[in-house]
Amino acid sequence: MNDENHEQEKTGRMSPTDNELMEDVRDGRVEKLAVLFERYQTMLYNFFLRLTGNRAASEDLVQEVFVRVLKYRAGYLSESRFNVWLFQIARNAHIDHLRKQKPALSLDEQYAEVPTREPLPEAAYEADREAELVRRALDRLPVQKREILVLFRFQNLKLREIAELMGVQVGTVKAQVHRALKELSRVYLELQGGNVS
Amino acid sequence: MTCEKTQERFADYLTGDLDEAGRADVQGHIRACASCRADLEDLTVVWAKLGVLPEEQPGGAVRSRFYAMLEETKAQLEAERKAALPAARRPRWTDWFTFRRPAFAASFSAFLLLFGIGAGWFLSGARGGVERYASLSREVQDMRQQVAVSLLGRPSASDRIQGIGYSAEIKTPNETTLAALFKALDADPNPNVRLAAVDALYLFRDKPGVREGLVNSLSLQTYPLVQVALIDLLVEVREARAVQALKTLIEANELTPEVKKRAEQGLKQIAA
Repeated sequence: MNDENHEQEKTGRMSPTDNELMEDVRDGRVEKLAVLFERYQTMLYNFFLRLTGNRAASEDLVQEVFVRVLKYRAGYLSESRFNVWLFQIARNAHIDHLRKQKPALSLDEQYAEVPTREPLPEAAYEADREAELVRRALDRLPVQKREILVLFRFQNLKLREIAELMGVQVGTVKAQVHRALKELSRVYLELQGGNVS
Repeated sequence: MTCEKTQERFADYLTGDLDEAGRADVQGHIRACASCRADLEDLTVVWAKLGVLPEEQPGGAVRSRFYAMLEETKAQLEAERKAALPAARRPRWTDWFTFRRPAFAASFSAFLLLFGIGAGWFLSGARGGVERYASLSREVQDMRQQVAVSLLGRPSASDRIQGIGYSAEIKTPNETTLAALFKALDADPNPNVRLAAVDALYLFRDKPGVREGLVNSLSLQTYPLVQVALIDLLVEVREARAVQALKTLIEANELTPEVKKRAEQGLKQIAA
């Protein structure tokens, strides 16, 4: 039923943009956040899942993002790009999650760490070995490189949006994407040539 | 164009975001530079491989937790708004006497009604004051039940939640009100309405048929939050009939781990 309602909102006369909805939320019509939630929950969940490899933690992080959206809604500027603002919050939530996980390690060390991923259900593993191989290769990258690839490849963010999100120059992002892809390619070939089972 | 400049454009090249001239530059360079050509070939392969990763769907708990939080925030904002209202403009006592104020209009109607009833009583000169008060109080209760049932039939979830709020103020709910509450609990599409119905029915736990209805509802619920609220309620009232329902629920093996754990705990608590 909820889905139908949101579908109606989406397919209605004029679908409000993310920015318009967030402006409404900021101005006190917090119920509009439901539409943004429906638009972004899967995207955010997959963002976190690819970073943490943990389904329960990823679900908690999605909730945390929307708690923060409500908390910081007054600070949303009309000229902001909603997806950039949202992923800024998501990145910060993930950084705080890492801090809580291993407070003894510095953030740089945590970013360099490779997460331990939950094993996939047997059926899914059998069904798609290639996807599993890609996933394992992605998991072997340090968080920083994985994050930039996930943002660029799966979250459909443009290079300039990632630059804005990370507070760096577009050129820097281009170079980082290139390096991350090269490393992924190397790790993938290594896994493929090595013990693939 | 240098190798470094060319490689910087690879990301845009892969996503197809390079303009005609940019593509021509990259292609011109890789025709002449074997190392960059090999580089781009590798990247193109791995870029395509990333596309095979399936997108996963988050569990339903994410949605119910979000909507519970949203309802809570809405209620909080509403309360803040109401609290801020008197500060904005201090009303004068004369403001009360205007028909634009629903409270005045309602009180005035009530006054006329009371006056009519009073006059009737005086003229007939019959029944005692206590009896008259009881009949009036019954009327108010009946009216509340009617409003509750009518709000529960509205399409908006917040209206239905308000309807449940009305019903919670009723001392002795009639069958229609209880049936409307159970209908909300068992079949409302919005989990927040169902949660509110659990709370309201808790108040009527000692009315005939209510506990039985709550036990039956256990097998109909699929949302973890509602399931947990129902289990908590049945444990609190130590409802023996819930034992079998809880066992069936656990055996059906369709519960999330958290709900299953709560159901198992609940079983022990009821049996204790």
